Amino acid sequence: MLYRATTNLVSTIIFSAFFIFTGMAQKPQWTIGMSQCNLGEPWRVQMNADVKKEADKHPELRVIFKDAQNDNLRQRAHVEEFIKAGVNLLIISPKEAAPLTPPVKAAFEKGIPVIVLDRRVLGNDYTCFIGADNKKIGKAAGKWIVSRLGGKGNVVELKGLMTSTPGQDRHSGFIEAIKGSNVKVIFEADMKWLEPNARREMESALARFKEIDLVYAHNDPGAHGAYLAAKAAGREKAITFVGIDGLPQEGQMYVRQGILSASFEYPTGGREAIQTALKILRGEKVSKEMTLPSRVFTKENIDKGGEWLKE
Amino acid sequence: MPAERHMNMGLVSRLKRWYASPLWRAIVSLSLVMFIGIIFNADGTFLQWDTHRDMLRQISVYGILACGMTLVIISAGIDLSVGSVLGLSAVLFALFSMHFSLPAWVSVLASLTVGVLFGALSGGVIARFNVQPFIATLGMMVFARGVAKWVSGGEKISTAVLLPDGTYNYVEPPAIFNFISSRILGGNIAIVTILFIACVVFCWVILDRTYWGRYLYAIGGNEEAARLSGIPVQRMKIAAYGLSGFFCAVAGICQAAQELQGDPEAGSTYELTTIAIVVIGGTSLRGGSGSIWLTLLGSLIVGYLEKILSINAVGEESRLMLTGAIIVGAVMLQRNARRNG
Repeated sequence: MLYRATTNLVSTIIFSAFFIFTGMAQKPQWTIGMSQCNLGEPWRVQMNADVKKEADKHPELRVIFKDAQNDNLRQRAHVEEFIKAGVNLLIISPKEAAPLTPPVKAAFEKGIPVIVLDRRVLGNDYTCFIGADNKKIGKAAGKWIVSRLGGKGNVVELKGLMTSTPGQDRHSGFIEAIKGSNVKVIFEADMKWLEPNARREMESALARFKEIDLVYAHNDPGAHGAYLAAKAAGREKAITFVGIDGLPQEGQMYVRQGILSASFEYPTGGREAIQTALKILRGEKVSKEMTLPSRVFTKENIDKGGEWLKE
Repeated sequence: MPAERHMNMGLVSRLKRWYASPLWRAIVSLSLVMFIGIIFNADGTFLQWDTHRDMLRQISVYGILACGMTLVIISAGIDLSVGSVLGLSAVLFALFSMHFSLPAWVSVLASLTVGVLFGALSGGVIARFNVQPFIATLGMMVFARGVAKWVSGGEKISTAVLLPDGTYNYVEPPAIFNFISSRILGGNIAIVTILFIACVVFCWVILDRTYWGRYLYAIGGNEEAARLSGIPVQRMKIAAYGLSGFFCAVAGICQAAQELQGDPEAGSTYELTTIAIVVIGGTSLRGGSGSIWLTLLGSLIVGYLEKILSINAVGEESRLMLTGAIIVGAVMLQRNARRNG
């Protein structure tokens, strides 16, 4: 008896609380489903934070977040759940193109507008793609490095996962930019985006080469790991460290602290996704393709919020 | 007379006997890896002390985890949660010491306590509810990672402290961080390596000099027999996993200090390397046998292997293939050792 009375009381409280809260808040007009492929990476945590920050400015929007934990099939299920729930718009940052093309297509054909963020899907069955160009960023980094070294020097390249497109593009853009100069890559290793690996590889590079002028890492944690290795060897002052991503609490912070000389922003597009979503929901026309501009952060410009890269 | 019989054994059979012991097998594996390093020495890099010092630093965190894993495996268990508990401890240690500015000893003690509690929780589930260690610690692996992400808000806990107004305050890394990531003896040995050696000695004392050690071997050898002979099996299991959690926390503190941050993702897949270290050393997954010295040798084998591949800038695909083949090769060598011995 007592048990039943307690459960009744508890459920009454929960339900009344629920009604009071829903009554108080303005009822959102539109629901957006946000399917994130992996929240294990700080950059993607930032992407969701950017989406949330922008969406919070608009009470007519409600965003539901789902994290696929780096699993294609789980993400596929998430998209299907969003379709079933009847969201007004879908934002997806897919893990991989091929496995996620069919569910995105299904949503699009059901009349749900789809914004594809950062990584692509195959074909044309989506409303808008928003992303930055890794190859351009790699190229910009390469140009910056050539001019910083005066056209000549020994570089260690710590690559991201080379089976991933960002890793490949950040590498090929860089190689393209240093071609023709006397900047040489004397040691390269795949650190799989991970700081402990970067530190380990950098220790090997330091042991093997007495003259290293610069470290180009495909992400900021990699550059930071390399810095820690150089610092342990007492050689951090002789080496310039350059990274990519430029997150506020990572790359920008390292530049501010003088650890990195430059960090190239790889924008998350979270803010732009919500702005575009609003346009679509209001019936305005949006372009199918949106390439995000990127900034470079250096000691000189960090307080002014970085400098936009020219095309 | 035993001595007389020993004399009569002859050189060949004595060598055979030598070679049949897991300890010698592990030393042979290590020598082989070292030999490869001397041949592929990357322009003499392998022959410098710095390379060995760095290898010892790199393997220390794994080695500390492997100390706890050895205790658990000797008791015929397994602990898959070591990487996650490491991540959680790293986050907590960074949070306590950098963001809450607590004194070093409080941060260390608090992180160690949480590690022991999480380990003991796994042990409790295994011992009291008779859940298989693989399942219980698999659950803990996922759960502890969740706690690490929840506590940290999914972001790295670094020297940038977010203030209520949205700006960052950059704090200096606490002295304890600098101490743990420094080197002593003229810069020739890292503090983390000293901590690793201390953990090995600690485990040796437990395993070889206390009742606890005898009990763990007995439980691993035959749990039912151990129970019938009056060994407190449940309590010993909780103790073994609790100790594993303790070593995870030590490793987490070392990881955070070396990275100057608490990364909630730190330690993912470390459990696999850790199990590989223990097994390559020669401690059997069946339990009841093995020693901490084998784990020390296993750490060196894995550490040297990684270092040699790294200084030679071997490509990722070859690294994976070679590492996989060598792990299986080393374990096969050990399997024969037990069969013959």
